[in-house]
Amino acid sequence: MRLQLGYVPLCDAAPLIAAHELGFARSEGLELDLTAEPSWATLRDRLALGHLDGAHMLAPLALASRLALSGPPSDLVVPLQLSVNGNAITLSRGLWAAMDPASEEPTDVARAFARAAEERARAGRPLTLGTVHPFSCHSYQLRLFAEAGGLDPATFRTVVVPPQYSVETLARGLVDGFCAGAPWNDVAVAAGHGRIAVQGGALAPDAPEKVLAVSERLGDGILPLVRAVARAGRWCADPENRSELIHRIARRGYLDLDTALLGRTFAGDPAAAAEAGLLLRFGASVEEPRLRDAEWLLAQMRSSQQIRSGALEGSAAMVYRPDLYRAAAADL
Amino acid sequence: MTETNLTVAVIDPSRARAAILEEGLRAAGVGRVVVIPDTADLLERVTALRPDVVVIHLESPSRDILEQMSGVSRQVERPVAMFVDRSDTTMMQAAVDAGISAYVVDGLRAERIKSILDIAILRFNAFARLQRELSEARGELADRKLIERAKGILMNLKGLSEEEAYKQLRRKAMNEKRKIADIARAIVTTADLLG
Repeated sequence: MRLQLGYVPLCDAAPLIAAHELGFARSEGLELDLTAEPSWATLRDRLALGHLDGAHMLAPLALASRLALSGPPSDLVVPLQLSVNGNAITLSRGLWAAMDPASEEPTDVARAFARAAEERARAGRPLTLGTVHPFSCHSYQLRLFAEAGGLDPATFRTVVVPPQYSVETLARGLVDGFCAGAPWNDVAVAAGHGRIAVQGGALAPDAPEKVLAVSERLGDGILPLVRAVARAGRWCADPENRSELIHRIARRGYLDLDTALLGRTFAGDPAAAAEAGLLLRFGASVEEPRLRDAEWLLAQMRSSQQIRSGALEGSAAMVYRPDLYRAAAADL
Repeated sequence: MTETNLTVAVIDPSRARAAILEEGLRAAGVGRVVVIPDTADLLERVTALRPDVVVIHLESPSRDILEQMSGVSRQVERPVAMFVDRSDTTMMQAAVDAGISAYVVDGLRAERIKSILDIAILRFNAFARLQRELSEARGELADRKLIERAKGILMNLKGLSEEEAYKQLRRKAMNEKRKIADIARAIVTTADLLG
């Protein structure tokens, strides 16, 4: 069976790339055609309209697509979670200097950010921060960052900045900071334009980040695909495979980035970071698409006024399908 | 169609394709057509222009920027929505196949946006066809050059006339059920390696 899968070139697309590159798909009798999509909106539309059979997707966008909050009508389901964490908020060097936080602890940083944001709003020049899509954990993490410092999120402007533009918009002062996934925070730091203020995981530990979204039309093809991508995710999670993983995803055709840069994303002590719920993580401990994570995302949408309070109660089970995951995982 | 009071913004990573659509919309009587470059300051430019319709190519990474101008975020004064006519999936398929997505201001009637989409679909499909023909023509030209070089190598190496050299190439291609250009490429590559 031949499947068309889409992804956005980010570190957390690794399980899909590995499923193809390392033969996990072939062992399940699947041929994968992977395409890098230029935006989340285009990925969502192509999945909804049947150009793609499945995709690497922002967990909130998968819910929003199926629940008719975003884009064309879709029949997607989520049988597997690909990753948790990996986002960070990067602020411009100028803003960081103005904040002058008491320490690098998230609460001190958030308080210092709140003070600076209020000051700028009073001066009639509110801060502008970038996110990647309205329906993303990035948007929710920006809001949580504000709330952690006791700041009303309406004090600053939130705009969408495609990740490949994030460094340029920061350098040109079009934004004062952004929340993005790996590797874009490290890219901004390496370019000398920003500094990482807080990890997304510090604001919401192990938040559901990317999922595998598949069209229900796939039918019997869903379980073998889930097995192949789950095995690939476990391979990505194994520290022994780290340098091969980095070399594989860095290639032109995938992320097309410097391996040293990607090395930073996967650097550090994975066990300690995992314990703290801070860093990008794949594998067995994150695979199951849990209904309580989907409920948490719907609650974030309510807090962000994307849906009315009380709307879509109990609709998570229509999209998140732990039953499909368990059926597939029984053979892993 | 005379939509003299409409402002349409066109966003496309390909400047040539954007120009073709701009011309088509003007010819159809759209009052104001503005091509906005696909760059980091796109949001500022779109906000300043206040268009009624934004036609954006699916290849543009800036699509997600327009998504946030929707009613979901209430920070914008003129919310736009992605144009999705749920009753007309054929239209949507045709648009996506042609590489088009459209965002419209709240309250704009579906019929008015449809005629704009129709023009965009026609123009973008025509552009894709032209590009395909161009790349085929380029391929043919490259093949012909390759065959010329292979003939020259055979003539030098084996003392053949041009006609005999071509016959040998053609016979080899027929025997191996391959294209003459493929045989020529093999000869040129080998000659490069050994020469």
